[in-house]
Amino acid sequence: MARSYLFIPGNVPRMLTNADVFEADALIIDWEDAIHANEKDEARELTTAYLESHRPEDTLVYVRINSEAGLIEKDIEALRESTIDGVCLPKASSSVLARYEELFSDKDPYPVIALVETPTAFFELDRIAAHEHVFALFLGGEDFRTAIRAQRTENDEEILLARSMVVLAARAQDVTAVDTPFTSLQEEGLAADCLRAKALGFDAKSAIHPDQVATINRTFSPSEKEIRNALRIVKRHEEEESMRFSLDGKMVDKPVIERAKSLLEKARLYGLLPREDKE
Amino acid sequence: MTFKTLAALFDELPLHDGMTVSFHHHLRDGDAVMNTILEAMEERDVKDIHLRASALFPVHTVAERLVAAGRIERITTNYMNGPLALLVSKGSLRGEVVMQTHGGRARSLIDNERPVDVAFLAAAAVDRDGNATGREGKNPFGSMGYAVEDALHAAVTVIVTDTVLDEPLTNPQIPAREVDHILLVDAIGDAQGIMSGTLEMTKDPLGKRIARDAVGLLDALGIFRDGVSFQSGAGGTSLAISAGFNRILAERGLTASFFSGGITRYQVEALEEGLVERLYDVQCFDDVAVASLARNDNHIAISASRYANPKDPERIIKDLDVVILGASQVDVDFNVNVTTDSYGRIIGGSGGHADTAEEAKLTVIVAPLFRGRTPLIVDRVRTITTPGKDVDCLVTERGIAVNPARKDLQDRLREQKVPFFTIEELQDICHRFTGRPAETKRHDRIGQVESRHGTEQDTLHKIKGE
Repeated sequence: MARSYLFIPGNVPRMLTNADVFEADALIIDWEDAIHANEKDEARELTTAYLESHRPEDTLVYVRINSEAGLIEKDIEALRESTIDGVCLPKASSSVLARYEELFSDKDPYPVIALVETPTAFFELDRIAAHEHVFALFLGGEDFRTAIRAQRTENDEEILLARSMVVLAARAQDVTAVDTPFTSLQEEGLAADCLRAKALGFDAKSAIHPDQVATINRTFSPSEKEIRNALRIVKRHEEEESMRFSLDGKMVDKPVIERAKSLLEKARLYGLLPREDKE
Repeated sequence: MTFKTLAALFDELPLHDGMTVSFHHHLRDGDAVMNTILEAMEERDVKDIHLRASALFPVHTVAERLVAAGRIERITTNYMNGPLALLVSKGSLRGEVVMQTHGGRARSLIDNERPVDVAFLAAAAVDRDGNATGREGKNPFGSMGYAVEDALHAAVTVIVTDTVLDEPLTNPQIPAREVDHILLVDAIGDAQGIMSGTLEMTKDPLGKRIARDAVGLLDALGIFRDGVSFQSGAGGTSLAISAGFNRILAERGLTASFFSGGITRYQVEALEEGLVERLYDVQCFDDVAVASLARNDNHIAISASRYANPKDPERIIKDLDVVILGASQVDVDFNVNVTTDSYGRIIGGSGGHADTAEEAKLTVIVAPLFRGRTPLIVDRVRTITTPGKDVDCLVTERGIAVNPARKDLQDRLREQKVPFFTIEELQDICHRFTGRPAETKRHDRIGQVESRHGTEQDTLHKIKGE
């Protein structure tokens, strides 16, 4: 249900300590791309100390571990006693997920955000999304572009298919769809990119800078109009005790009612309901 | 008289041991005048100098050397940082250091407290009659606000300049009748240095968060209306608050009455966009402000007395609605320290902090809740720069605290559903990250913080190990 997933480098004390101030719904503490090979141990130590003493209460916390052999083992070992909500698994594939599971002989694996960013992942996307421990598919647009040798276009047409495939697989397996980060700090561009992602069906978007969080949260929150409309649908549904009725000349049936209820749940979670509907 | 050499000028001056000399700080860390004058005083073997400078910066290396040598005996200033401040903190000054406020300095000059024997005042230009300005010349620095009272009340006033204008000045900031001598030099300094110590708008996400919440607080308190007056500093977070303030004025079609204090390009842009009627400028912080002061009649240079002297009935800040100020420490009684760090090392000073806090209808302190492992909120600040009775709200990245003395503000925030903490609650949050710091021991007295009214407000102590 998170709207924003903010990356925080795992080896920068000031960013870790203040990570909860930036109002992201979820944090992804990065041990992978943002951390040089020589600094992985330091990131593990710093992050685990942070989680022990300052883990934020109201924010979901994930760690982007490394998926390469030799690193994933150390990462999982470092997280063994931790209180994280899950891991973000890069270069996700069936084999990477299998290796991940093997490392948990004595406890349940952490829930997984599967970061899909290789061409092969898109040929087994449904299997990845259906994996027992995967609760979200996350498109890694930058690595994906590089892997398919695409040129960046103004409206990101080169990743449109990948975006749509992630959303389709997520919907098919009832997991969350998280969009790739917008790599510029230009606010108008970010707002447009968020709208494109929302229109395609993504539930949330990742952020590479705290400044991006407010725009992402705003875009992926239900709008006032959407909330008003959902309230009317649910009210009418409850009054008429019916799963099929007409409202403003349009037919309302079960999927519409369920979408309205889901939207209101999200609005309630983020304190967006009108005052009388909060109770 | 006009002199082309220091030697000729010094032959005319009433030099004596124990004399008080004053300087302004409009050239900030680009100032060349003080070093030049103090070196000449050393050559003339003047001892036991009392240095009265409105502020002291790292560029003032000769002052540092003369303090170490014992030739400068006392310092009275409003702000001090860098190696000289460290030396003074170590107890190297033979006499006492007195940290004043901008308004308090003006008041004390007018009241003839610690009278000045010779004021050496940099001017960007003089005309042939001896009128002085900061606006024109090779190194323009804008307002001469902190020099006006020195010129009026020193026994001898020397203008130091690198530019003589052929045309008479129509609106000089220091009129020729207040000037005894003019010293011509190659350069008064580097005007680019006036931007030292000031920043661009913050890019730090924490600073931005604090700025956003501070603007939100002002909005919740109903500050935004036609005719509002506002002052904010030149630090990165303060500039972000100014930008947010201006954005709301623009969005709502409002016009502020005045912005005051040190002026930056952000205030100039607001003036030019019609968001504010007037700028009252005691000090230009950048070249955009300097240029604006020279061309815009509604950008008005004011003296330190008109700005903040508590005895000046026309002082601008008595009409100030809101001031935004920083802090290195705040205590549970809302006392604020911007003079020393937690160990007592001098790192700044009031400037206009205590002046504006006492007079503004709403005083908001903005600061991160901790820096590294150093907490912002402590049981008792190391040094009281601004008394807690003059502070209304504290905005940090992790929440807002409101002085319990301002029940009206607390009620308004409750009405507006804006959450706030007690300062003790914010302190507890802070301690979760920093732990509770150990009390630091106080050593020998080295001087005092003087209130704007002239009373001793707090004692300054030597730092440990020296």
